[in-house]
Amino acid sequence: MENLTDTIVAISTGSTSGAISIVRMSGKDAINIANKMFRSLKNKIPKEFNARYLELGNLKTSGFTEQALCVVFKAPYSYTGEDIVEFQCHGGLKIAEGVVTECIKNGARLATNGEFTKRAFINGKLSLSSAEGVMDMINAETDAEVRAGYELLNGGLSKIATDSQNELTDILSEIEVSFDYPEEQIEYITKAKVKQRLNSIAGLLDDVLESSKTGNLIKNGISILIVGKPNVGKSSLLNRLINRDRAIVTDIPGTTRDSIEDSFTIGGIKAKIIDTAGIHDTDDLVEKLGVDKAKQLIDFADIIIYVTDSSNPLVKEDNDIFELVKNKQHIKVANKCDIAKTRQDKTSIYISSATGEGIENLKQEIYNRFKSPKLVEGGVIITNARHKQALAVALEHVNMALDDIDNQTLDLISIDLKLAYSALGEITGNTTGEDIIDSIFSKFCLGK
Amino acid sequence: MNNKINYDCIVVGAGHAGVEAALATARTNNKTLLVTLTKEAISFLACNPSIGGTAKGHLVCEIDALGGEMGRTADRTTLQLRMLNMGKGPAVHSLRAQVDKNSYHRTMQQVLEEQPNLDILEDEGAEILTQEGKVAGIVTVSGKTFNCRAIVLACGVYLNSRTITGEIIKDSGPAGFGNSKNLTKSLIDLGFQIRRFKTGTPPRLDGDSIDYSQFEEQKGDKNIQTFSFLTKKANPNTRVCYLGYTTELTKKIILDNLDKAPMYSGVITGLGPRYCPSIETKIVRFSDKDRHQVFLEPETNDNNQIYIQGMSTSMPKDIQHKMIESIAGLEKTKFVKYGYAIEYDCINPLNLYPTLECKFVKGLFCAGQINGTSGYEEAGAQGIVAGINANLYIKGKEQLILKRDNSYIGVLIDDLTTKGTNEPYRMMTSRAEYRLLLRQDNADQRLTEIGYSVGLVTPERYKKFKHKMRQIEKLKTYLNNVIAPSEQLDEYLVSIGENPAPRGITIDNLCKRANSDLYLANKKLKLFKGFSKAEITEVNIDAKYEGYLKRQNQLIERSRKLEEKRIPAGFNFKAVKGLRTEAAEKLDNIKPLTLGAASRISGVNPADITVLLMHL
Repeated sequence: MENLTDTIVAISTGSTSGAISIVRMSGKDAINIANKMFRSLKNKIPKEFNARYLELGNLKTSGFTEQALCVVFKAPYSYTGEDIVEFQCHGGLKIAEGVVTECIKNGARLATNGEFTKRAFINGKLSLSSAEGVMDMINAETDAEVRAGYELLNGGLSKIATDSQNELTDILSEIEVSFDYPEEQIEYITKAKVKQRLNSIAGLLDDVLESSKTGNLIKNGISILIVGKPNVGKSSLLNRLINRDRAIVTDIPGTTRDSIEDSFTIGGIKAKIIDTAGIHDTDDLVEKLGVDKAKQLIDFADIIIYVTDSSNPLVKEDNDIFELVKNKQHIKVANKCDIAKTRQDKTSIYISSATGEGIENLKQEIYNRFKSPKLVEGGVIITNARHKQALAVALEHVNMALDDIDNQTLDLISIDLKLAYSALGEITGNTTGEDIIDSIFSKFCLGK
Repeated sequence: MNNKINYDCIVVGAGHAGVEAALATARTNNKTLLVTLTKEAISFLACNPSIGGTAKGHLVCEIDALGGEMGRTADRTTLQLRMLNMGKGPAVHSLRAQVDKNSYHRTMQQVLEEQPNLDILEDEGAEILTQEGKVAGIVTVSGKTFNCRAIVLACGVYLNSRTITGEIIKDSGPAGFGNSKNLTKSLIDLGFQIRRFKTGTPPRLDGDSIDYSQFEEQKGDKNIQTFSFLTKKANPNTRVCYLGYTTELTKKIILDNLDKAPMYSGVITGLGPRYCPSIETKIVRFSDKDRHQVFLEPETNDNNQIYIQGMSTSMPKDIQHKMIESIAGLEKTKFVKYGYAIEYDCINPLNLYPTLECKFVKGLFCAGQINGTSGYEEAGAQGIVAGINANLYIKGKEQLILKRDNSYIGVLIDDLTTKGTNEPYRMMTSRAEYRLLLRQDNADQRLTEIGYSVGLVTPERYKKFKHKMRQIEKLKTYLNNVIAPSEQLDEYLVSIGENPAPRGITIDNLCKRANSDLYLANKKLKLFKGFSKAEITEVNIDAKYEGYLKRQNQLIERSRKLEEKRIPAGFNFKAVKGLRTEAAEKLDNIKPLTLGAASRISGVNPADITVLLMHL
């Protein structure tokens, strides 16, 4: 466990190079350390920083002096709830690294991954759910992932969990009142009604969980496998998709000796692409890799691009390869359409890696296969394992209740409903059950 | 002072909490003094003439399993018995007895008077004496000083109480008894937070003036069970109750006279219970309801006084007459007593540890309505725990904390001491998260060992209990026996709406059939001999609900880690870096003993618990 009381520092803009980079320090010594390194142009010797004022000045390190902006947030009015100093310097990793090194020399410690957010959470500045949203946003590399993180931060998931939990509270209060007040003149809830309402909760949870698959794709990316007989242009297709020369392309078949991996984004979804190992003229995929290895690669992929040569008719080898992938999600691509469009499969997309023709169609097709309606509507996507787990547990118990409801009394059914309720509480933070009792009293006229 | 008398323990108040506490300390060989304003008030049923009911029946069975007296006395004075919630699962079956309130009082008084080590004094506690943060003694209103090592305060609703009937406000305890005017100040001086709660009671009518033909008769159950493990034979049902309804006129009378209702005119400021509202509250809050139920319950065989359940009110007397007369069958009825509301001082139960010992005075225990609860059963349950712990405190032993997973009493006390309460707290089955494990029928299995270890369960009773447990174990070994296919078997199965078993069935699987009942099946099929109904029922329930019981046990297992993680005494929550201020203040105020208890405090969220866990 990290020490939670010392001062931490990190490059907040990440390791990529941009026009500016920000170095952030948080902790009780942050302002002291900044005072040793930074001199405002206006006040030569600043005794006290003005909180939340951006000051231009000179940032001195052992290697260089850099003109930079500095802003101070005083505890508890900061992201972490501690004193925070941020330096905005010119872009380039070297400068930012130099500033961090200087901070460390003056007593700060390099922050671990996500430590700022962790402190924000521990200091009560962020709820668990929001903290997780921020963590996902920090780790986000693509637009869609940022959006999912943003949704979580805004409580999209929390709202669904809260709604489901409220509905369970309501059902439970209707069930419970019949045990605690068996002699009242109340229309006690029927099993049929409970069943109907549970079915809609199950449907809702099911939908959200279904979207978690999309969430996973967004978080981890889609993996795409390119297969095809030698010299159909697999490597050149890969280069086209990632938009740079990653694979060595020659017209000598079998140039690619190992499988090659790279990634690109389609409509905000990260796609990891794998080009199968180059294959000698005489070998086919199966012979070269062995059935198991080939199947493993195929199984691993979310989608397979099956490439044929548009300039030549299909041969048995093409069909053999197709046999391996036909049961997986796949897209048929006929490459080299710039040379000739001989008849391939009627569902093939004709492309040319050489000219770029049809590449956008292919990308669109890949995107279409993975976009979720919810993603498009900007709905909720679960990218967090803890939330997914909680929802899955809740759904499991709702389903168990539904399975048993015809054969068991409602007091037994309520056991699973309470378990579902508390699983949702992992997300909403409400696990006390007190609201069930409150709901009983607010809804029914009770007591003798 | 020269006339000091020494006791081990002094119990203030002889209501349902006080008698259980006094019996518990006296039975564990502590010289005990029970102080009561009047012996007339001993175990007085000030409100409804019944013991038990939903969740409350569970409490009575648990008090009995620990070696308490309430169940036995209720069994001996029963006029009518009903098992509520039959037809629902076994977890919510709840026994309720209409009892003879005079006889209940006399029976309990006799038990007390025959109890060795126990003196009863008619007096009023005035001041609690302490020395170095420990209980030292008590001064009474009549000027006597008693030394003692432990005190159980069970003052009920008597602290600074006043009763209200319309414009008539009396400085009085319930049912015309006196009240206690001095103790509140002593409690404030000791550091207790005092609150003001309210409750009420309906009128009592002369049964001879009621036209019962306008009511629906409610009879007791045929197959009668009892609260106590020790009761050999239940009292037969000798009285009936009646059900009727308020009318449109009742509603109109109440609405027309709301300005005279102390509840609405601002006379009453105490916090009342939501589950036991007055009829005026019911009519105002649920104005869409045309009528409300009214139950007529016999109070005693000594006279024909009838309790009008459902008509709790503090309206002026003339309005009470009009209200009652608007009910069919009560048009010509004579009043014996008027309904009233009662306001009283009580302490904030967050001032107590889950042992019911005060957090700032060692040896001072509180039990019953003084802790902000309502109900005889809730009081008795706290009384026996306070008595047990007063004894353990005197003997210098580790005190008893009942847990949420072993008893309703555990749930009750945990709720009170970790969540507190803003209204008179009533036990409900919905409050028990491990409800299926905490049944009336297995209360003895859950608590007899504890009752025995603290010295309240007698060796004879313990022996009887051990025998039952051996029987159950033996019967369980039969579960895998296969009942051979037979016509009788199929006949039985079909008779309960189940499919026949052409290849036979194990006893276990027979139990698991939804509609089966092992006791009845055994009567028909002669599967085994030599087991009591209670033993067979236990085994049947355990087999039938095996899956659910497992799930509840897993849940307990999961929370065990937090429950067992102890927070050291004197732990400084405010010094915990990372704990939100609100949480730190709540924790500092309540001082939970375990992380599990901390997690149940409102305003303490899972993130706070994570932070605490890191610091422990």
